[in-house]
Amino acid sequence: MNEDSLYIEQFLVGEEEGFEMLVRKYQDRVLNIVYSLIGQDREAEDIAQEAFLKVYHNLASFKQRSQFSTWLYRIVVNVTYDFLRKRKNFINDEAMLKSIPATYDGPKDSLLIKEREALIRKVIGKVPFKYRAAVVLKDIEGLSYIEISKILRCSIGTVESRIYRARQFLKEELFKVRGELI
Amino acid sequence: MKECVKVKRLLSRYLDKEAGVKDAIFVEEHLKRCPFCKIELSELTRAKEFLSEKQRKALPQDYLVCRLREEIAGSRNRQESLSWLVGMGNLSRRLIPIPVTVIALSIAFLVLSSRQQVNKYSLEEHILSGNQTTAEVALGLILGTED
Repeated sequence: MNEDSLYIEQFLVGEEEGFEMLVRKYQDRVLNIVYSLIGQDREAEDIAQEAFLKVYHNLASFKQRSQFSTWLYRIVVNVTYDFLRKRKNFINDEAMLKSIPATYDGPKDSLLIKEREALIRKVIGKVPFKYRAAVVLKDIEGLSYIEISKILRCSIGTVESRIYRARQFLKEELFKVRGELI
Repeated sequence: MKECVKVKRLLSRYLDKEAGVKDAIFVEEHLKRCPFCKIELSELTRAKEFLSEKQRKALPQDYLVCRLREEIAGSRNRQESLSWLVGMGNLSRRLIPIPVTVIALSIAFLVLSSRQQVNKYSLEEHILSGNQTTAEVALGLILGTED
């Protein structure tokens, strides 16, 4: 029995600590996936919270046929997708670029990091969601193709193709933004 | 050219170290001969690196746990207040006729008394007008049947 299963068992016998341990273990991974998918901080925290609430309310019905992380990430991707669909505005580029201060007092490196971060968010925002989800799970979370195929409920071939297409989008968008690949 | 199409399909898998040994050897052999596929691989590699350079966010240890505790406690309270209402269901169903009857009687009383009030004035007006007031007319005015 792995660590996650122990926490789940603990939760199922009425100890909330089991659920809290799962949250502590996965909160940053979940946050980074959501943040990469939507590109905004505050909302990423809210979505992460909503995803964990879904886990809390449905953990009793989780059959443990797949890994807990697979199930969790599937919830995270679905909650994020629902959020974006409701908002009908996947990433507001202007708002994102405005979030970079015009004058920044910090070290020059920090400004460069911020600019780069904004550029990454802008470029990712242009990639269609189904390709974005695959490439974020691969390059941000470092999951294998087989894990991604289980999360997104598609074949490994589809995962491969989505990741390839996402990178093609990234490449083209970067050309548009900078005129050359960074 | 046919080989390029096949290699391009395998490039992402190869880049992510997900290709089988045979496929990996095939791609590597092709890359030695084909500058176009080599450029494609280098561009894909840079796109991958670009994404993996994204800053990682980290939350304080119990930040989300605290938020979730509050949210769960809130939803539990809401559920409890709802279950209290559900529990009250049978009793409230039995008690509902009482306030309904009281309200209906009150409305009837107010309507009747206001009509009587109006008719009393009508009776007084009738008397003051100097017309003949018989018992029948007076009763009619009180009950509202007399114009």
